[in-house]
Amino acid sequence: MTEAALKISGLSKSFDKPVIADLDLEVAAGELYALLGPNGAGKTTTLRMVTGLTRPDSGSIHIFGIDALADPLAAKAVTAWLPDEPMLYDKLTPSEYLGFVAGLWRIPPADAAPEAERLLKWLELWDSRDTRCETFSRGMKQKVALAGALIHRPRLLILDEPLTGLDATMARAVKDALREAVDKGATIVVTTHILEVAERLADRIGIIGGGKLLAEGTLDELRTQAGPDQMTLEDAFIKLTQAPR
Amino acid sequence: MRRLRPGGFAWLVVHELRLAMRSRRRSRRGLWIGVALLAVFTCVGIMAGLGLRDVPIEGGPAVYTGALAISILLVSFMTTQALLRSQHTLYESGDLDLLLSAPLEPRTILLAKLCGIAGSVVISFTLLVLPIAVPVAALGHPGLFGIPALLAALSLASACLGLAIMIGVVALAGPRAARTFGQVIGALLAGSVFLISQLLSNAGHGRNSGAMSLFNWLREHQIGAGGVGALPGRAALGDPIAALLLFGGAILIFAATGYLFGRSFLSSYQKARMRLTRHRAATGAVARHFRTGLFASMFAKEWRLLVRDPALAFQIVLRLIYLAPLALAAFGHGRGPPLLPALAFASVIIAGQLVGSFAWLAVSAEDAPDLLNVAPIARKQVNRAKLASAMAMAAPFGLILPLALALTSPLGALVTLAMTAAGGAAAGLIEIKWQKPAPRKTFRRRRSGSLVAGILTIFATAFFGGIAALAVWVITAVGL
Repeated sequence: MTEAALKISGLSKSFDKPVIADLDLEVAAGELYALLGPNGAGKTTTLRMVTGLTRPDSGSIHIFGIDALADPLAAKAVTAWLPDEPMLYDKLTPSEYLGFVAGLWRIPPADAAPEAERLLKWLELWDSRDTRCETFSRGMKQKVALAGALIHRPRLLILDEPLTGLDATMARAVKDALREAVDKGATIVVTTHILEVAERLADRIGIIGGGKLLAEGTLDELRTQAGPDQMTLEDAFIKLTQAPR
Repeated sequence: MRRLRPGGFAWLVVHELRLAMRSRRRSRRGLWIGVALLAVFTCVGIMAGLGLRDVPIEGGPAVYTGALAISILLVSFMTTQALLRSQHTLYESGDLDLLLSAPLEPRTILLAKLCGIAGSVVISFTLLVLPIAVPVAALGHPGLFGIPALLAALSLASACLGLAIMIGVVALAGPRAARTFGQVIGALLAGSVFLISQLLSNAGHGRNSGAMSLFNWLREHQIGAGGVGALPGRAALGDPIAALLLFGGAILIFAATGYLFGRSFLSSYQKARMRLTRHRAATGAVARHFRTGLFASMFAKEWRLLVRDPALAFQIVLRLIYLAPLALAAFGHGRGPPLLPALAFASVIIAGQLVGSFAWLAVSAEDAPDLLNVAPIARKQVNRAKLASAMAMAAPFGLILPLALALTSPLGALVTLAMTAAGGAAAGLIEIKWQKPAPRKTFRRRRSGSLVAGILTIFATAFFGGIAALAVWVITAVGL
């Protein structure tokens, strides 16, 4: 049996009230997993716990077998995080930003520079590589952040609403980039409000609500779980998240 | 505001003044401090008024020259403030889009903005001057009621001058340069007068303040004793014709600015909106931006972020202005044994301030903290790299006074250097320990975020500075 890219067991987190309650989740290596849920369902909190930005109250997180709570640095070394608000420095250019990120992940310049060049060209940022990010549109900033997330060749890529605010062309480019990353062996966990993205891109979909995993499976499996007359993911999503718990 | 015609000039002016007042609104604590200061000023004014009640205040060549010197200094301050307000109006206020999209004449908007700029400028000086001037005037010197008229005239003229300079810079050098120019002027505001007065003092004018130096120069050249130069003094002492002439002149300048710059104001704003950003042609490979090691990456990032923010860089480097009198004394005629401990002490204090500032930018004002949190590096290592970056950026400045000391006492210089490094490191560590996330643009107000850090930095640097001063004093006393 192949090792799970991400394994979450009994994860719980409360702020003023419980946000995540005893959550179990497993994502196989090489899979694109979409985590869906209504606003306030706990998607971002879950992902922030996986990336080490928020400490869970209880439970365990394993990334490729590494205990992310016991050895966070080893887990972070193979993980990339791309939130909906890009983690950028406006006064740096894309090349400089990638240089900085590569430094944080301690990628030798001889490896990082060619990879940066490839990413900048692939994401159509090459002609803007020496322009400061402050001048960029939201879509371009998101692409720079994506390049930053990919520069250290993460095995697990975690994205929180990566398509927020992007126009159709940019959104297509990002979706293609994600699919290509998976095809090259990466594992992706993505949250999105755009159900069409999950429908078209994801290998498996998890629906979270009230801090619990409500349903999980392929698109067909979710349709089946929702009921025989549910034809679209949107129908299944509404039915599953509105069902009494 | 309700009684004014909506969209009219007066209505717009009241709107601008309301914005100017609200932009000054501070916290409740700040408000109480302001009220307390105002009360103290007023008390000082009342005491001065009582003390001067039977003392005649009369005009004369020396008084008029003095009033002219003060007016020139006030105009320089006011124009600088007006430049800043103009820059804010053109680049940051964000309400010009709304105003210019309304069916209003651009010239009307410009004139209302000018009144707003003049109003915001005059508020500062009114709060400083009137609590003292009005009691003195009310307690036996009614002629001094001319001071508010003088202030109003000076502020109006300064507002016009500030906006004209800003529009001129936009026209000549483009909006990017104008924005940077405005930011740098703002940063220079605090230090320029100090520096100029120090330079004047060291240029053979004795140990006088800038105002006194200017006064002496005007008197030597017989400027301000009579004629047009005496108008500010006459107006301040209640000469109605002088006040009328000055205020009328300011109104004329105001009208002329509206007439001359009505069109260019609109185009400056349009340019400011359109061409603030610069697309640099991409050149060469990206490999030059990749470095080995965390410190190198961190230093490169912090350095770039600093030098690409001229306003911030100037604010920090301006602290070096306080080196000026010490440096002038150290390298010039004032060198001598009693000065050396003071130099050693100052070296540590200045380095502590600089490292503390750089460390605050690197730690508290980190733009992407989550990026560092998700990177596979321990927080300690990140902090260490940031502290090292802050110290490396401050190092060239921290060497200045030890080098000056080395001319007289090499051993004292070594001790000072060590204590400067220790003081800088302590200041940086305090910033790291008491870090509080804040945007970079709040640099000037960073101490309100962590008062403890500020106080501890002062104590720590004073401690190391004291050791340095004591050691240098002993070294020079025993002749080592």
